[in-house]
Amino acid sequence: MWIKYNRILLSKVLLLLVILLVGGAAALGCARTGAVPRGWSGGAIADGTLFLGSMDGKLVAVDISDGSQRWGPVTLETSASAGGFGCAPTSTAIAIYGNLAVGEGLFYVGGYDGKIYAFNSSSGALRWIYPRQDVLQPIVGGPLVALGKVYVGCSDGKLYALDAATGDYQWKFQTGGKIWSTPAIDGDTLFIGSFDKKLYALDAADGSKRWEFETEGAIVSTPLIYNNTVYIGSFDRYFYAIDTADGSLNWKFMAENWFWAKPVIYDDTVYAACLDGKVYALDAESGDKLAEIDLESPISSSPVAVDDLIIVASEEGEVYSIYTGDNHKRELMNLEVRVNAPLSASQEVVYIHTQEYEALYALNVQTGVVLWTLPLTSK
Amino acid sequence: MDIGAIWDFIILEPVINSLIWLSSTLFDSFGLTVIVFTIFIMICMYPLTAKQLRATKGMQELQPKLAELQKKYGKDRQAMAREQMKLYKESGLSPAGCMLPMLVQMPVWIALYQSIIRVLAVTPEGFLSLSQYLYSWPIVYSTLPLANNFLWLDLATPDMFIALLVGGSMWLQQKMTMPRTADPKQRAQSQMMLWMMPMLFAFFCLSFPSGLALFWLTSTVIRIVMQYYMTGWGALAPAGAKGPGGRDERLKQRIAMEGGHKKEAPLDADIVEPVSTPEEELDYEESGDKRQDRGEGYPASFRPVSRQPRRSKGHRPKRR
Repeated sequence: MWIKYNRILLSKVLLLLVILLVGGAAALGCARTGAVPRGWSGGAIADGTLFLGSMDGKLVAVDISDGSQRWGPVTLETSASAGGFGCAPTSTAIAIYGNLAVGEGLFYVGGYDGKIYAFNSSSGALRWIYPRQDVLQPIVGGPLVALGKVYVGCSDGKLYALDAATGDYQWKFQTGGKIWSTPAIDGDTLFIGSFDKKLYALDAADGSKRWEFETEGAIVSTPLIYNNTVYIGSFDRYFYAIDTADGSLNWKFMAENWFWAKPVIYDDTVYAACLDGKVYALDAESGDKLAEIDLESPISSSPVAVDDLIIVASEEGEVYSIYTGDNHKRELMNLEVRVNAPLSASQEVVYIHTQEYEALYALNVQTGVVLWTLPLTSK
Repeated sequence: MDIGAIWDFIILEPVINSLIWLSSTLFDSFGLTVIVFTIFIMICMYPLTAKQLRATKGMQELQPKLAELQKKYGKDRQAMAREQMKLYKESGLSPAGCMLPMLVQMPVWIALYQSIIRVLAVTPEGFLSLSQYLYSWPIVYSTLPLANNFLWLDLATPDMFIALLVGGSMWLQQKMTMPRTADPKQRAQSQMMLWMMPMLFAFFCLSFPSGLALFWLTSTVIRIVMQYYMTGWGALAPAGAKGPGGRDERLKQRIAMEGGHKKEAPLDADIVEPVSTPEEELDYEESGDKRQDRGEGYPASFRPVSRQPRRSKGHRPKRR
């Protein structure tokens, strides 16, 4: 009997062990692989208000002078089935990536649930949703508002143009891969990168293609346009300068990992933050490397220029200012929490949306003093 | 460097980059990559898997003998343990023989699982995580992101049909390893395992990217094939069939030819169904084995017995 009981016990222990191993590996795998979309919305500032999406799908309007909330929060929730165990999302909160966009009395949000939302800026009331009935594929890039339209890239590979006031469909442009990039505009030309490794220049009025430029890797970063040149980084580790008129290559620069963040320019120097943990200061005209500032942690958060300083945050939560005069870095503070969201700035204050412990920090870039903190997590 | 970083550096990074490289050479098809890579890993781990399968089979064959020991020394635990050890020693088997290869293989499977999940990066967080595992090979950067479509599957999302396939194949594999037993408790236990694991994995598949389910399906199918070649159809063979499957026969013949010594004895033995019934347990002493010990260290009743025709279910053995 002893053997039989032992065998039964052994089998049960074995079964439990397997379940724990598989379940544990699954949970650990999910936790470390980022298989669950959480979002990292950047802020959009207009009329002293910063609009932001939190990781649990809440939209907040923050008075940037003191961190108080003007209204809300408004919660975006999906009615879709939420999956269950494993790497499927377990909550109905909608992840929001990319910057929100502010237009005429409205602000715009692209949701990972595959919908584009427009809200009243002053009250937070919903104005319109696109599409009204169905859903698109997840939207990761932020919307762009220009020329009376909202332009949004989608994971279905299409760039949508909608009427900014009503959300009515205007046109769409199909690329060969997902679009996670936020579009940029120069005059009447729209620029958008795609997973199909191409940068497209489109007519903003009707979506017709003007030219395309092919790289060796997917493009998720937002293009920067300056002096008839579009600057963009790719997954092939190259940073490109392309002529806006005809899509010809001016120069390219190779780093050691992907470019995810939108570059920033100051006084003919392009600052390109890379996932290899470095910020490259490149001559905008020639592409020559002027400096290489090592933050020792990947950078996915887009930097901002404030006066003669470039403010950049690493994924580890270290915030630095780079003085453009000598390209030396100075640590402003270490938040010690993950930062993926693009930075926003107004006058001498930079606004940092942190992940993990989710909060919004207002940091004076001259003094390094945190002016206020707004916790955003509901946990 | 913490243990996680060491794991990433030694295991995950090579596997992830190999998967990406392989994908670029296999027509950018990640589905094909998962299948080929799983086959490759299974081939590399064949010695361990074979050892585990043989040990499991051997342990199953020892069960009737262990049951006999239990009957004989049930109350004397020390003697029981001593005799058990003796039996294991003579048979060249040990309970750890089943577990050890499985435990050694476990990190490999976990690594493969984690790598597939990472390479299949669906969310922006997944991509950011993946970027930190890449070698500086140009092919790696130009291949990403991988194409997620394979057959009818979007490898990045769960799929009902492949979940059913995983559940079904795991059921078959469990059934093949299930010992034929007349003991209702053992049978209930085996039945629980037979249904529990496939259902559990099918449930997992409904929540995980189908790329992972494809990996589970491939490895299970390969295991079924290996198991068939090594131990036959097992409990999948009709209960009334004559003797074990042909592969069993060949395996035993081969083992007998290779050694035929004590070490291989239980494998050389027939698959003996436990003949004990509750009534027999009671009158064991009266019905005790009358055969003489040949003085080879262990009672003759525990040595390999000649092949007996397999009995159909419910058939009670005749008493001599």
